[in-house]
Amino acid sequence: MLAYIVRRLGGMLLVMLIVAAVVFMIARVVPGDPAAVMLGAAATPEDIAALRTRMGLDQPLLVQFVIYLKQILSFDLGDSIFLNRPVTQALAERAELTTSLTLMSVGIAVAIGTPIGIISAVYRGRTLDQATVAFAMLAASVPSFWIGLTLIKYLAVDLPWFPVAGYGPPEATFLERLHHLVLPAIALGIPNSALILRFTRTSMLDVLGEDYVRTARAKGLPPKVVILKHALRNAMIPILTVIGLTTAVMIAGAIVTETVFGLPGVGNLIVSAVLRRDYPVIQGALLVVSGLYVLINLAVDLLYAVVDPRVRY
Amino acid sequence: MRTLSKILFTTALFGTAVTMAITPAAAQQAAKGSVITVATIGEPPTLDPVGVTADLVSVITQHMFETLYTFDREWKVIPLVASAMPTLSADGKSYTIPLRTGVKFHDGSTMTADDVVASLERWTKVSPRGKTTASVIESITAKNGSVVIALKEPFAPLISLLAMNNGAAAIMPKSVIDGANPVKSFIGTGPYKLLEHKPDQYIRVTRFDGYVSPEGPANGYGGKREAKIEEVRFVPVPNATTRVEGMVAGQYGFADSLPAEMLPRIKGASGVTPVVVKPFGFPLMIMNSKAGTFANQAVRQAVLAALGPSDMLTAAFGDPSFFALEGSIYAPGTNFYDADSAKGYNQNNPKKAADMLKAAGYKNEPVRIMTSMQYDFLYKMSLVAQAQLQQAGFNVDLQVLDWATLIQRRGNEKEWDAFFTYHTFVPEPSLITFVNPSYPGWWDTSEKKAALAKFNTEMDPAKRKALWAEIQKLFYTQVPTIKVGEFYNLAAATAKLKGYVPMPWPFFWNAELAN
Repeated sequence: MLAYIVRRLGGMLLVMLIVAAVVFMIARVVPGDPAAVMLGAAATPEDIAALRTRMGLDQPLLVQFVIYLKQILSFDLGDSIFLNRPVTQALAERAELTTSLTLMSVGIAVAIGTPIGIISAVYRGRTLDQATVAFAMLAASVPSFWIGLTLIKYLAVDLPWFPVAGYGPPEATFLERLHHLVLPAIALGIPNSALILRFTRTSMLDVLGEDYVRTARAKGLPPKVVILKHALRNAMIPILTVIGLTTAVMIAGAIVTETVFGLPGVGNLIVSAVLRRDYPVIQGALLVVSGLYVLINLAVDLLYAVVDPRVRY
Repeated sequence: MRTLSKILFTTALFGTAVTMAITPAAAQQAAKGSVITVATIGEPPTLDPVGVTADLVSVITQHMFETLYTFDREWKVIPLVASAMPTLSADGKSYTIPLRTGVKFHDGSTMTADDVVASLERWTKVSPRGKTTASVIESITAKNGSVVIALKEPFAPLISLLAMNNGAAAIMPKSVIDGANPVKSFIGTGPYKLLEHKPDQYIRVTRFDGYVSPEGPANGYGGKREAKIEEVRFVPVPNATTRVEGMVAGQYGFADSLPAEMLPRIKGASGVTPVVVKPFGFPLMIMNSKAGTFANQAVRQAVLAALGPSDMLTAAFGDPSFFALEGSIYAPGTNFYDADSAKGYNQNNPKKAADMLKAAGYKNEPVRIMTSMQYDFLYKMSLVAQAQLQQAGFNVDLQVLDWATLIQRRGNEKEWDAFFTYHTFVPEPSLITFVNPSYPGWWDTSEKKAALAKFNTEMDPAKRKALWAEIQKLFYTQVPTIKVGEFYNLAAATAKLKGYVPMPWPFFWNAELAN
């Protein structure tokens, strides 16, 4: 297994190098200029050109790319043009929020999606199954920003149980900050639960038709043991895959929800950086996110061996 | 099923525990009572007000930094860090500005004339407004506790330029300015000092105990300044609906730049007061006078004939109480208002425009008009403009870009024919962007140059008003830009906020929070 992990991590370095090059090129091919954004509406072309020189943006692209590669190889993601701090610090400041939000929303998605998916498969074709399928369709098709605004209206304004937005005042404790994440986590978790629900249902249906499940039933095992031990464990690989992908996507993909709830997460950081053309932040954040994406996929692959002893590395 | 019940029970228990845990802190916050949370439209690009003209930067930094002069509620220039209005030499080329004594910086040091000289010199090098002024400045020197600005020629807008809070001539310690561009620490003389900045999360400014206020009653941005609220916390909330709901729920004490259609929601909420700021700004369609189809003045005149700002404003703002059909660059009630020289506004006459186009020799060349969805009202009015221009026979290529791309492209005269933007109210006409010949659009005809030179060198306010009317007449003859109208800003404040004075750049000194 160790050799497998080392091989995967080696491949990850190659992936990240490609990501670094692609992101660098895309950021600069897209029109727009950080100097112009920074100086505001009244800036003249001369002002913008002077600031570009000061920021080193007037250097040839190849020179800029070599500087960038040197930085990466020395584990330096550079300094943000706008935030007045290193990119690593900007990412570290958002890590707590993004990690908490991702875990909470994945938790909600799994808590809703997996049990309902199992119930749906067990009661296949019955009213309960049709109801869950309808729920999955609805949850998948309602946009998360609408869910977010509805939750704000009813659970933060009409019933003031939760804060409307933000990540808490500076003096907030960790628990209070988590309280700020409950509504965004629900808004993110519901659409993702639909995906997990559908995968769980399909995967369970496949397994429930297998001979060994029939044998288990014939042996007189209680339905709970048949479903949760014999069927679910064997159905877990596709479910784990989709949970892993959902987790990876949520790290930087919670942009709309973060905007609605005014949350300073990694998604928000990337979108702001794109709008401001803050090249070092775009490059650094996407590099880190793609690294995490690869790592999460690796973790999911390793988990396969845990749930299914037939899988070996 | 029992497992599911357990999960649901645990979740409910956790939710209750979290809700209970939050209550004491919320109660503490309310009890403190001297912190106001201000929901802004986003994160400012910098906290240095000198190099940029972004309004958001001005709103925040005006609490920390001060300028020599500022504006009263009637937009007249009054002293701030200066102790009096300047003494002008007989030839109008030398301004002696006396300074208040004992003014403290946030680092505890006392402001000197050398600090002011260093700040003004930095302003002439870094600020878009300062750079415009640099060409007429001969020298800036300290003399007996005053500052003397010697000019190459009389320049009437100088004091207004020194009073602006964006691209501001902010006074900072010389030690902060020396060798640092951009500045690394944000030390001013304002009633609030920077406490903490967490990008995309909050900017905290707190009462500066060593603050030395100007004399006299509070008046607009000037007069007595007192930080009655202990801390002002600026929180970026990009989503306008969230800003409104945050106000309604009592999470924010003030929310800026709200959509006009949200007014009923704000009015219907208890404990929230709507704030409408008039005058606030004017949308513009800037045309490229330097290159392309609109370089032809006759074609630009056809644009003026074709457009109907009435429809454009209605599409953009909806509620008529948030806009005004006004062709004068300055709105009624302001010093430079002049309706007579604004003839030609709001024609919406496609037939006349079509005839003018034919006479101008227009051959159906595509006209590239840039707009952006990042400013919803600009996007909506550009759609109406597109339809009205097409009706008159223009071949319109409406390019919807993100704002960063738009402001980059507008620097290259070959890439566009017109773009939509807006201008916040400025009290001095020479501060208006399109008056500057370097500003994209490049309105720089010999007639305008001569008229502007006369206006800038005339010191008599009454004569300046008449000279501005001449420039406005040229504006409607040469049509470098279309002024679409006036629009107002909707903000909301908690009913607890007392003594707040609505102005285009909201400020919170002298205001207080009632218990």
